[in-house]
Amino acid sequence: MSNWESKQTEFTESILAGNEQAAVALARTSLEEGATPVEFFENCISPSLQDIGKRFETLDIFLPEMVTAADTVEKVNEDVINPAVAESQAGESMSLGKVLLATVQGDLHDIGKNMVGLMLKVNGFEVVDLGTNVPPADIVARAEQEQVDIIGMSALLTTCLPYMKDVCDFLEGKNIRDKYPVIIGGAATHPEIAEEMGANTHGGSAAEGVEKCKMLLGKL
Amino acid sequence: MNNGMNYDLLLDALDKAENGPVLDEKEWDREVIGKNFRETLEKYDISMERDDPYITNDDALADRLYEAGMELAVKTGVYCIDTKRRMTWTREELESILSDMPDSVTLGTGDDTATVRRRRPEENSHVVIYGGPFGIPVSEELFIPFHEAYAREPLIEIFNLGTLLSTRGRKIRAGSPWEAVAAWQEKELAFEILERVGRPGMAMGCVEIATTEVGELAGTTLGGYRPTDAHKINFISEQKTAYHHLTEATHYAHVDAFSESYFNPMYGGYVGGAAGVALACVSGSIVMRACYQGTLNNIGPTHVHISASTHPEVLRALQLGLQALARNANFLTSPFIRPTTGPGTMEIFYETGALAVASAVAGCSYIDASQSAAGTHAGHASPLEVKFVAKLTHAVEGLSRADAAPIVAWMVDKYKDIQSEALTGKPFQELHDLETLDPTPEWNQMYLDAINEVNQEFGLNISG
Repeated sequence: MSNWESKQTEFTESILAGNEQAAVALARTSLEEGATPVEFFENCISPSLQDIGKRFETLDIFLPEMVTAADTVEKVNEDVINPAVAESQAGESMSLGKVLLATVQGDLHDIGKNMVGLMLKVNGFEVVDLGTNVPPADIVARAEQEQVDIIGMSALLTTCLPYMKDVCDFLEGKNIRDKYPVIIGGAATHPEIAEEMGANTHGGSAAEGVEKCKMLLGKL
Repeated sequence: MNNGMNYDLLLDALDKAENGPVLDEKEWDREVIGKNFRETLEKYDISMERDDPYITNDDALADRLYEAGMELAVKTGVYCIDTKRRMTWTREELESILSDMPDSVTLGTGDDTATVRRRRPEENSHVVIYGGPFGIPVSEELFIPFHEAYAREPLIEIFNLGTLLSTRGRKIRAGSPWEAVAAWQEKELAFEILERVGRPGMAMGCVEIATTEVGELAGTTLGGYRPTDAHKINFISEQKTAYHHLTEATHYAHVDAFSESYFNPMYGGYVGGAAGVALACVSGSIVMRACYQGTLNNIGPTHVHISASTHPEVLRALQLGLQALARNANFLTSPFIRPTTGPGTMEIFYETGALAVASAVAGCSYIDASQSAAGTHAGHASPLEVKFVAKLTHAVEGLSRADAAPIVAWMVDKYKDIQSEALTGKPFQELHDLETLDPTPEWNQMYLDAINEVNQEFGLNISG
């Protein structure tokens, strides 16, 4: 087993258990031994999170474990990786892109959206989660404010679908439609609905949503 | 009140939503739900493995699950997402609320009433069939023939509707005046359908188009849906409510309407695996009764990746939850049957049938069938799957759990490997003659084949 392989195994176990101390220590030691933040991310954080994402797809682990792992990685990033990146001034970004997520107006369901958010995070995306029941104008305003790369919207209920179309119409009205690829998902949606709402694509599951986001940004 | 609601208890619940401890929603999901579920399952030694039988034959386990669910209901309560507060009840309060639940209720009017009774596991008594294309979107043009085909089916005793895709040619927007327009149109069409089939008093699930309180208030008013119908109200997963649900509960108290409260615990979500879902079925039912005082109790657990209540692990969890409730309290409970497959496939009979059999012998009082093709494709539903559920359910009333287990296992084996393929089948208009509303000969033959298969395999005597 290579050094990175053994570190990754240890890192995966630490973040699944929510052991922040061990995960942070492992990251710190790796950097002290000469690894760059990007090397640690690519060889340890990223494969560990992908492994956890796959385990969730097959339900060998459940949502609480995935939440714990994502939170622990966030702590590692805050305490070790982000400061090291800033210090090295390498200018290298480890994020695949920034995705805005919202459950649209009229809909209070959030578990599906939360799962997509977690899967995006564990696959290297930055996520701006606006929550549930979000009016179209707020989605567009926050997309501009946060300068996101993708707008993702969820709806469980068919009567909430028109609000997805509103977002696409508002983007058109502001002449910024091309700036923001739009992906939709949720129980009320399927690929034909995405087309009807004016979205770029549809995610049928959290895992497919991640793949589609990568495709939208040309990173697949 | 005829609907059994206690107004003081309702006001008390509304007070709790305003005055309970403030809590961040993330903390609710992760700590109050996630952590407490894990700890309670460990404390009560409740586990379910993937190779366990689909039907549990262990009364002690069912009772332990109920006790664990009661303890969890006290520990957790309900989260109100509008006030960001936790609504809690003491064990004494919950026990008092549950002890006041009636053990039967009659919905509908005149010659078209249906009486839903508490049943126990393996009890040889009638299971009410609550049938229709639950929430499945359908065009205005097809709305009447589509639903009339269901309402004609005599085995359906309480009737449920799909949802209008548009109202008077316009898009329906949640929370807008168009939701009110759609609610009224739905009511008019529903009453017309009942008149056409000569069953004007049959109770209906309503208001189906209501996404917010706007639809419910607009549809349940003078000249609208009746107090004797089953008015819907739900939790958001897990154990969350909002002002709009509490407003609906208040409205039901004021108009003395029966209600059907429902919730959908998520397999693989914050409650964990099958054991967590079974526990959620119990704790959710208890706190939902405290929160809304619903007449009927509908549980529709779902899989986080496959939107279905028929997934083997979900089915296994639900039947145990139903047993726990049926053995320990007067809940009038139903599973919500949501298969991945649609009409025009053989698999839809196996998917809906497996959950119907498991639920009937577990002691459910009525069966909601079905949200075919997971409710995602317009018009993809047919009364034949409900007829199949009804015939099979009545055939297994009184059957032991041990005798029902092979039927369920046989059916699950026939669909478990294709659920992720989402065989949505065909829409209603391709499976039924739109003039006579009869099924096409091919589709009817598939139904008869399914009946014959079950009869031959298990020595049943179900007529077509």
